[in-house]
Amino acid sequence: MNVPPKKRLGPLLLIAPAAILLGVFLVLPYLNIVVMSFRMPGQGTPYGPGFTLGNYGKFFSDFFYIQQVINTLWIGFLTTFLCLILGYPVAWQLARGASAFRAVGYALVLSPLLVGIVIRSYGWTILLGNNGIINRTLTGWGLIDGPLPLMYNALGIIIALVHVFLPFMILPIMSAIQGIDPSLEAAARSLGASKVTSFRRITLPLSLPGIQAGCILVFVLSLSAYVTPSLIGGLRVKTMAVTVVDALIDTFQWPFGSALALMLSVTGAIVVVIFGRLTVMKWKA
Amino acid sequence: MTEVSIEKLTKDYGQGPAVNSISIRIAEGEFISLLGPSGCGKTTTLKMIAGFEDATAGAIRFDGRDVVAVPVEKRDIGMVFQNYALFPHMTVEKNLAFGLEMRKTPKDEIRIRIAKVLDMVQLTGYSERYPRQLSGGQQQRVALARALVIEPKILLLDEPLANLDAKLREEMRVFIRDLQRRVGITTVYVTHDQAEAMTMSDRVVVMFGGRIAQIGTPSDIYERPANLEVAEFVGQVNIIRGKVGNRVVSTAFGDVPVSGDFADGAELMLALRPEAVELLPINSGAMGAQAKVLSSYYSGSLVDYRLELAGGVVVNVQTFPRTRFADGEQVLVHAPADRFWPLGSAA
Repeated sequence: MNVPPKKRLGPLLLIAPAAILLGVFLVLPYLNIVVMSFRMPGQGTPYGPGFTLGNYGKFFSDFFYIQQVINTLWIGFLTTFLCLILGYPVAWQLARGASAFRAVGYALVLSPLLVGIVIRSYGWTILLGNNGIINRTLTGWGLIDGPLPLMYNALGIIIALVHVFLPFMILPIMSAIQGIDPSLEAAARSLGASKVTSFRRITLPLSLPGIQAGCILVFVLSLSAYVTPSLIGGLRVKTMAVTVVDALIDTFQWPFGSALALMLSVTGAIVVVIFGRLTVMKWKA
Repeated sequence: MTEVSIEKLTKDYGQGPAVNSISIRIAEGEFISLLGPSGCGKTTTLKMIAGFEDATAGAIRFDGRDVVAVPVEKRDIGMVFQNYALFPHMTVEKNLAFGLEMRKTPKDEIRIRIAKVLDMVQLTGYSERYPRQLSGGQQQRVALARALVIEPKILLLDEPLANLDAKLREEMRVFIRDLQRRVGITTVYVTHDQAEAMTMSDRVVVMFGGRIAQIGTPSDIYERPANLEVAEFVGQVNIIRGKVGNRVVSTAFGDVPVSGDFADGAELMLALRPEAVELLPINSGAMGAQAKVLSSYYSGSLVDYRLELAGGVVVNVQTFPRTRFADGEQVLVHAPADRFWPLGSAA
């Protein structure tokens, strides 16, 4: 079919600003990173002349880096899982609860996003440190002898990340549950299902698109989180994002840092694709 | 088969009763409609029968046993919702199996019963489809099948045809009625469509403002309405006024004999359905009152006339289009005395 040129131009014009913005500030830098990851390490310069596979060789030959990827993935998995467990009931309440709760609850869920991530992460150091509020209180009450190791470990990072990313889990699930016709639950009840069964067989599977979106968001955000892991993990526990920044800024190894950054992106992408495959919903199409 | 008895059932949300002490006895296998405008309490009543709403007061008995305290899932009802409420993530087969699985029916029997019910709603071969792959009418039949396959005590339908187009709606009316007769299940049907209620029901319960205005067969409701509200709700009606004297009401149609105790001199309202009036040419020599045609509307099988009688009384008349009368033409109108139904004294 022949479409008049004017009509074809319309949609293009509409997406042009976003496309240009993304092209210039995302795609081009990304390509630059890909190229950078194959460059030779430099002496006093960001990179040397010529190309090499050595940066990737270094990554795969040193178990230290593989271990870091695994740690980062684990932190991502656990953060995502905890956000799901903690966030789902809240999302359900926001979608289906009493209207008085809904307005307040919605404000409460969104309010952490109004405070900068640096400030929130510092807040957690005040709470979680060896001399922090939690340890001092517990010691003061005589419940523990010495401080619990809440900071400079994966536990502390996960606690803080869960707090930071919880809204990104709650909001998509809430909107998915809001999209479920309440008469479906009524129909399940009329067919003999208890409230629990009707939730398990109807509401939960139908909110899967929200769960899927929330999990992908939180997981990806956890993998790439930098501020929280670097403040709470300190020097002892490092995630990939922290190591990448170390390589780029502290040790000035741009090619190797680029290779690390890409390996992080690729592993994250692989996990997301596998997750998408596992949670494919035939009924949606 | 189950007899349902509703006794002084009341629902109050705190702003005055939405359902006000209504009582209905529904016989085994009876098809009963709750008819009324939105907000009349018909849906609330259905929800209380189903168990989705708690009754503020009163009793609901299935075969004599009060079920007010029994939760929805233990009431053994089959319900069809206005929007069908098919589970979108399950195939037709899974939708139909759901209620049977809840009853722990063995797998073999589930298969047999699904095949049987699919045959009954003429959807054999559709078991692997998802709801979104079905037309509105097909979804409707799956919803019916899902409610019936569990062989419930009663079948409850909440405006099930409201979302269908006119032609399909008429088909489904007949379909549901036939199916209900064949299965012989006690059925409560909620609708605001009087034609639907009349064509399908054994008896119709007309509700206004949380109260029952009238319970009766479709012809009771239509031909002998309990009051003006009912008369006007179930179809078009002319209200003819006249003074009572000597057991006759003198109206623009002439003297109409009435039975019943009406004091002489009282002003009475008589209901007269548009199709009860006969229209004749002015020169036909028949008995009747003179009237002038104000306007007419032709709709194929019928013609609607607006006529003006002596004293400026305007009536609507519906006839077959055998003889057409022009606007402004003088005609004779006649209605049999037994088609005038007294509604009581005019306010």
